Amino acid sequence: MAHASVAPVGGPLLTRGTKLALFIAAVASVLVSVRLFTGLGPITALNDGFAWGIWKPLNVVTFTGVGAGALGLALVAHVANRGRHHPLVRSAVLTGAIAYTLAGISVLVDLGRWWSVWELVVPTRWNVRSVLLEVALCVIAYCAVLWLEVLPALLERWRDAPGARGRLAARVLPRMQRMFPFLLALAIVLPFMHQSSLGALFLFAPTKLHPLWYTGWLPALFLLSCLSMGFGAVIVVDTLTHLAWGRRRDVRLCSSLALVMAGLSFAFVALRVGDLATSGALRHVTGWRGVLFLVELGLFTYPAVRVLQRSYRENAGLLFWAAQLAVAGGALYRFDVYLGAFSPGLGWSYFPSLAELVFSLGLAAAGVALYVVAVKRLPILSGVAEPAERRQEAARLRAHA
Amino acid sequence: MPNVSRRTVLRTLGGAAALAAAPAPAEARAPRPPHDDDLGLLFDSTRCVGCRACTVRCREANSLPEDVKLVDGVPYDAPIDLNDRTLTVIKRTSDGADGAFVKAQCMHCADPACVSVCMLGALHKGERGVVAYDVSRCVGCRYCQVACPFNVPRFQWSSATPRIVKCELCRHRWREGKGAACAEACPREAVVFGPRAELRAEAHRRLEAEPGRYQGGVYGEREGGGTGVLVLSAVPFTAMGLPALGSEAVPALGETIQHGIYQGFVAPVVLFGALAWVTWRNRRAGGGGEGER
Ligand code: SF4
Ligand code: SF4
Repeated sequence: MAHASVAPVGGPLLTRGTKLALFIAAVASVLVSVRLFTGLGPITALNDGFAWGIWKPLNVVTFTGVGAGALGLALVAHVANRGRHHPLVRSAVLTGAIAYTLAGISVLVDLGRWWSVWELVVPTRWNVRSVLLEVALCVIAYCAVLWLEVLPALLERWRDAPGARGRLAARVLPRMQRMFPFLLALAIVLPFMHQSSLGALFLFAPTKLHPLWYTGWLPALFLLSCLSMGFGAVIVVDTLTHLAWGRRRDVRLCSSLALVMAGLSFAFVALRVGDLATSGALRHVTGWRGVLFLVELGLFTYPAVRVLQRSYRENAGLLFWAAQLAVAGGALYRFDVYLGAFSPGLGWSYFPSLAELVFSLGLAAAGVALYVVAVKRLPILSGVAEPAERRQEAARLRAHA
Repeated sequence: MPNVSRRTVLRTLGGAAALAAAPAPAEARAPRPPHDDDLGLLFDSTRCVGCRACTVRCREANSLPEDVKLVDGVPYDAPIDLNDRTLTVIKRTSDGADGAFVKAQCMHCADPACVSVCMLGALHKGERGVVAYDVSRCVGCRYCQVACPFNVPRFQWSSATPRIVKCELCRHRWREGKGAACAEACPREAVVFGPRAELRAEAHRRLEAEPGRYQGGVYGEREGGGTGVLVLSAVPFTAMGLPALGSEAVPALGETIQHGIYQGFVAPVVLFGALAWVTWRNRRAGGGGEGER
C-alpha cells in the first residue's frame, strides 16, 4: 500500500528559506501586538463601509480554499475509493490543517472583541439564525478534525520510539484506525457546510453585492470553487515538493485529479453562466466588474479545457501551470464576492494598508514554514528517496527548471 | 467491491451533496412583520430645516462625546456622517436648491439583517420593536456592518475594546417616560416619536393633506419588510440614499436557503452517516487505509 512509502524528508529545519519565512511571520506578529493596543483602525484601511477587508477573502476564504484539497482527496481516495491516490492524501490533509489554522488566527486578530470569542461555544448564547455562527463553529470543529487526521503521522514516528511515547502511540493508533470512517465523514460534511456557507454569508447583503455575483446559488458556487481550487492546490503542492526535495512521484495521479478539477470547473461555469442567463443578470456584464467576471470565467475555463487533452495534463510543467490558474480562478471568484463586487454605496472606498498585506504575507510564510518543518520530520510525503540520491535528483530537477 | 453498488453509493452522495448546496425553494421562513405598537419615528424631510438640534440632543441623551472638526482653524461639532460617536446626523441630498434634508440613523427594521447575522444576538429585537445592542454579546465581527442595507452600525476603530455604535431609540429613557431625544428636540415636527400605528396614521394624514408636497408614499411601510423609522420626502427616496428594497425582509432569502439546507439538520446527518458507512465498507474491502492504515 502507498502508506509504506511515506517518510520524513529529513534534513536541517533552519534553512535560508525557513529563516526568511519565520522573519516575515515575526514582523506580522509585531503588527498583531500593536493591534492589541491600538485597535484595528490605525493599522488597517478598514472603515464602516468596508468593515471586512482583505483578510477575509485572502486569509480565510482563499487559504481554506487551498486547504480544501483535503476535502477533495477524502472524496476521491476514500469515498470513491481510488486507492492509488493515497500517496497524496497526507500532504493535502497537512496543508488543510495548516491553512485552516491560519484562517482561524486571522479571524481572531480581525475580531474587535477577540477575548469574548470563547462564548461562541456556549450553546445557550447562540443565535441559530446566524450563518456566520455556523461557519465559525464548523471551522473550529473541522480544524480539530484535520489535526486529528494529521496525528497518525506523528504517532507513527513515535511508535518506534522507546518508552512512554512509543506505548502511547501503540495504544492510540489502532483506535484512530477504528475511528477513521467517522473522522473522514466529518472531514467531508463539515467543509461542505462551511465552505458553502462562506458564500451564503453574502446572501445577507443583497443591496451591496453586484448582481453578477448575487444569486441564491452562492453556497453551491462556493462549494464547487473550493473543490476545484483545492484539487488545483494539491497538484501545485505535489509539484513543488517534488521540485524542492527531488521526491519521486507519479504524475498520472495528478493528471487524473486534473480531470476531476476540470469537471468541477465546468460545473461551476455552467451553474454560474446558466444562473445569470436565466435570471437575466448577464446584461450587467459591463464596466470593470464585467471584466472581472470574464477573467474569472477564463481562469475557470481555460485550464479545464486544456487538461482534457491527455498530452497536456501528462506534461508535468503544463499541468502545474493549469493547476495554478485553477487556484487563481477560485481565489478571484472569492475575492470578488468579498471585495471586488461588494460596494456599500457612494463615498466608501477601501484599499488594504501595508500592515494588512504584511500580516497576510506573514501568515502565509508561517504556513509554508510549518509545512516544511512537518514534512521534514514526519512521514507525510511519498516517494522520498535516500538523502544522497535525493540531492542528486533535486540538483537535476533544478538544472532542468 | 462490485463497482455498480459503489456507483449507486456515489450517486446517492452526489444527490445529498447537491441538496446540501442548492437554493432550496423550501417553505419560506415565517415572516416577522412590524407590530402596531412597535415604537419608531416618522421623519418628514419636507419639514426639516437642517438645524441639527436632533444631532446635538441625541449626543447629550446618549452621553456621547462631540465630534469636533477644525474648519479653517475654528473648531465645530460637525459630524458629517454617522460615526463611532454620532447616532444620527442630518445630511443633504444635493448641493442645489432642489436638495432635501436626510436624517441618517438606524431604521429599526422589523426583520433586520443585522439581527439575523449576529452570532450571539448582541444585536437583537428588544422591547417594542427596538433593535437593541448588548455589548456583552458582541465579538466585534462587524458582519452587522456588512449586512445592514443602510450602513448604520458603526465600529470604534480606534479602540482596543471596541463596540458597535448605533441608535437604540433612546430605550434607556423610556422608563423615565421619555421618548427619542431627537424627536423631542425637533422644533418643526419633522421628527415624531411614537407607536407605529400612530406614526403611519400621521404620515398618511400629511400625505393626504398636501399631496403635492410629497413623492413616493411612506418609505418603511413595506420596504425591507417594514422599518420602524418611516420617511416622507419631496425627492425620490433613492436620492435620499435609501436603498430600493422590495417588500421582502433583507435576510429572508438567505435564511430561507440556509434553513432549506439545514432543515432539522437532516441533510448533514444523512450525509455523515452515508459517508461513514461507505468509508467503513471501502476499508473493510481492503481498498482504503492511507496513513491511518
Ligand atoms: S437599519 Fe441596519 S442597523 Fe438598523 S435595524 Fe435595520 S439592519 Fe439593523
Ligand atoms: S460586530 Fe457585534 S453586533 Fe455586529 S454582528 Fe458582530 S457580534 Fe453582532
